[in-house]
Amino acid sequence: MALTAAAAAKALLAMQRFGLGPKPGGIGRIGKDPLKALQNDLNGSAAISTSGLPTYAQAAVAGQNSFEEAYAYFQKECQARFSKQLEPEVGFLERLVLFWSNHFSMSAWKSNTVLGTIGQWERDVVRKNVLGKFSDMLIGTMRHPAMIAFLDNENSMGPNSPIGLSWGMGYNENLAREILELHTLGVGAGYTELDVTNLAKIITGWSYVRGWEADNKWNGGNQQNRGQFIFRPDWHEPGAITVLGKSYTQSGINQGLTVLRDLAIHPKTAEHIAYKLVLHFISDSPTPEMVNPVKTAFLNSGGNLKSTALALIKLPAALTGTPTKIRTPYELAVAQFRASKVTTWGDREWAVSEPLRALNHMPFERQTPDGYPDETAWWLNPDAMTIRLDTAQLFYDVFWWKTAPVPATLGAQLFDVALSAQSKALLAQTTDKRNGLTSLLMLPEFQRR
Amino acid sequence: MSDDHFPAVDPRILRAAAEGCTESRILMNRRHMLGVSAGFFAWAFAPKFAVAGSSTDPRLLLVIIRGGMDGLNTVVPFGDPNYAGLRGGIAMPAASTIQLNSFFGMHPSLTALGSLYGAGQAAVVHATCTPKRNRSHFDAQDNLETGLPADGNTTNATGWLNRLLTALPSGDPIRVGGAVQVGEAPVVLRGPAPVLGWSPTWFSHVNQITTNNLLGVYDAVDPGMAGYLRRGLTADALAEAVDPNGGSEDISQLRKAFRGAARMMRVDTGPRIAVLSVEGFDTHVDQGGATGQLATRLAELDGGIADYRTEMAEAWAQTVVVCVTEFGRTAAVNGNLGTDHGVGTVALLAGGAVNGGNVFTDWPGLAPQNLYEQSDLNPTTDLRSIFKGVLQDHLGVPKTLLDETIFPSSASVPVLQNLIRSPVSADQIAKSSLVTATAKTKALRGKMQAGWSAPTRPVDAKSAAGRRNLGGIAKYRQAFPEA
Repeated sequence: MALTAAAAAKALLAMQRFGLGPKPGGIGRIGKDPLKALQNDLNGSAAISTSGLPTYAQAAVAGQNSFEEAYAYFQKECQARFSKQLEPEVGFLERLVLFWSNHFSMSAWKSNTVLGTIGQWERDVVRKNVLGKFSDMLIGTMRHPAMIAFLDNENSMGPNSPIGLSWGMGYNENLAREILELHTLGVGAGYTELDVTNLAKIITGWSYVRGWEADNKWNGGNQQNRGQFIFRPDWHEPGAITVLGKSYTQSGINQGLTVLRDLAIHPKTAEHIAYKLVLHFISDSPTPEMVNPVKTAFLNSGGNLKSTALALIKLPAALTGTPTKIRTPYELAVAQFRASKVTTWGDREWAVSEPLRALNHMPFERQTPDGYPDETAWWLNPDAMTIRLDTAQLFYDVFWWKTAPVPATLGAQLFDVALSAQSKALLAQTTDKRNGLTSLLMLPEFQRR
Repeated sequence: MSDDHFPAVDPRILRAAAEGCTESRILMNRRHMLGVSAGFFAWAFAPKFAVAGSSTDPRLLLVIIRGGMDGLNTVVPFGDPNYAGLRGGIAMPAASTIQLNSFFGMHPSLTALGSLYGAGQAAVVHATCTPKRNRSHFDAQDNLETGLPADGNTTNATGWLNRLLTALPSGDPIRVGGAVQVGEAPVVLRGPAPVLGWSPTWFSHVNQITTNNLLGVYDAVDPGMAGYLRRGLTADALAEAVDPNGGSEDISQLRKAFRGAARMMRVDTGPRIAVLSVEGFDTHVDQGGATGQLATRLAELDGGIADYRTEMAEAWAQTVVVCVTEFGRTAAVNGNLGTDHGVGTVALLAGGAVNGGNVFTDWPGLAPQNLYEQSDLNPTTDLRSIFKGVLQDHLGVPKTLLDETIFPSSASVPVLQNLIRSPVSADQIAKSSLVTATAKTKALRGKMQAGWSAPTRPVDAKSAAGRRNLGGIAKYRQAFPEA
């Protein structure tokens, strides 16, 4: 049963906007009910079972041992996630993983600790909770050596804690500030500088075991917890502390856990996350009509991320209209592999990483904790367009030339009848596979979402 | 993590060569001018500001040095009695510097800049800072680039160079030529006026027929993409038009960026304003003196300026390069033989239109009571004064526009006088030609790593290589307070 042009356009929008791009024949397979296909995609598993990936303990140790060990795991993790992203028919679940990974963005190059554990963090914290509770993802991230190291909380001490008093040391507010500003409430939510410093005091003692601490059995470290998260009670600021007008009287680590659980289901957090989801997936100008249903789903479910994601794709704006955004460079790289049926980069990793570096979108390389931006202008500009064009050809030259199909044939398989007359004519008139397939990868149908 | 705090020689080139690609995209099949509007060529008789600057066709390159460059070791006040004591293990004696006069000496890494100074084509402004005088990379860079007063709200503010482009009379050559960002989009160019974009990469170009056919599809179904692609192709074509060096020499990305900027700006149809960023000046630890970390970064910057001057050829006569940084560093060396975030610092100017051979400063002195907050070189010149001096005398921008639009509420900030003079003669230009020091570049090679290699710049989560992007939710909340 052939699709109508409208049905094909809707299916393509689902694939581009919420997925990682069609595989040959994919539009035909999901065209009857694209929304159902997105919902079904969430029934897949986000887990990665590649062999050779580290456990939490192994990653933690590698981060303390050497750059080489940490880097070896990092490369394996980057490769494993990329392979995983080539599997599903649609890839909505994988897009959600990318979204949440960027929500808690960290730079792998901050230190070996981050480099060695960031991939394991994404697998064991983001993937495990991507359809679970936001509070679990939030707490799992804050109790992970990668985030503790990235935002400098490892030496944060309560000025009135036993060790703080004897060493004359204080707290570091980096992590606390970003928790409020980036990870939960968001800018303009009405929290104060005092809330920031009080939260910083509440998470004093949240640290990880440095190699030298394990080697010398200092500060609670030993060879069993080497590199892992540790709560150090004698570094923790004692007493009740107030955040957002509420006094937290718990002792030790429970004080911070309680605040994080409260922040995770705060209405401003719900609004911030709903706004970011709409901004990332649908529009550069989110309106309350788009944001509120997602926010409500988040709040009503106590921060359940599956309910939140389902509310997002049920928005009236979700599968209608023409796409106004453009694929991010990383999504584009994945989509090229999916469209071409190339399954691995083999020993030509550089042909994926160099374009991503030129386009400023290397995974785990955003230096600032705000994550890669979602505004279209960041990805659609003169320099980016020429690099996209040149690197589409690079993809052909490095990966595709041996197995290259006829451009017009592939165009029909990928876009069905959603291809514009002009795009169709362009593919039909190419006499050369290299030029034709480079053009195909640059078509608005392939780039926009 | 490698300790290389400078761009390594581009590993892509080596890898590309291994893959059978040619060395650099500069040598690839040439793109010709594509889709350039007629306005590009029809500007010789176009209206300008009523009072022109001193050059007939002025160019401005703004170099933003990110990370906080140490003014006191870049242009050393060896004549100040307190300098050596404050600097301790990283102090630089007069003899180790390129002496500019009896009081100041340039860091020995700045060989090209030093010889330009001697030829009257480079100048220094010392003891300067942004009005904000803030020691946060983010805040200070935003303040520098938005051109706002100390209390200005920089959230999503436009950049002062974009406001300049917007304010120019239509048809003004500077506006027609426009501005170009080299590398990442800087805040200083943010705003409604369209900006070209180019960055040095090595990827082969797609042939022109294929590109034109694709543009045909974009024109029909996605004009937005068409506009961006056309502007990018224009920048490529300009940047890569000629490669007098044959392109065989290994050079860093930074130096490629300087060369590309010059190739675009020297041609009749090219942009007249360019901005590029240099990173890695956040020298908290082991800063070094005549050699070491800062020396390496300055050598790289100097090489870039040398390349730019060479590529500009006779257009150098009508050019001003302004190198500024968001803040300086502490007057005293710290416990790690580095320096921490400070305030007052130096700005460097070069170009055939610069009134060179001068150090412009109201020197505050380094005695304890003269330091800013007992810590830093006290800034006696607002950075905006320098920008205003260049914009007024080089580009002919009227003072009211400078005081109200380009640098809002800045009438009380004086225009720094005498920075610009009439362009030097071709004869003098020839005399100041520089020999590019390749040996210096070769000393800058880092380790090549395949695949997901480390970035070629030092990573410090607090450094502002990336820019925080926090406007979204705040704006939404302002727009929909009841939502």
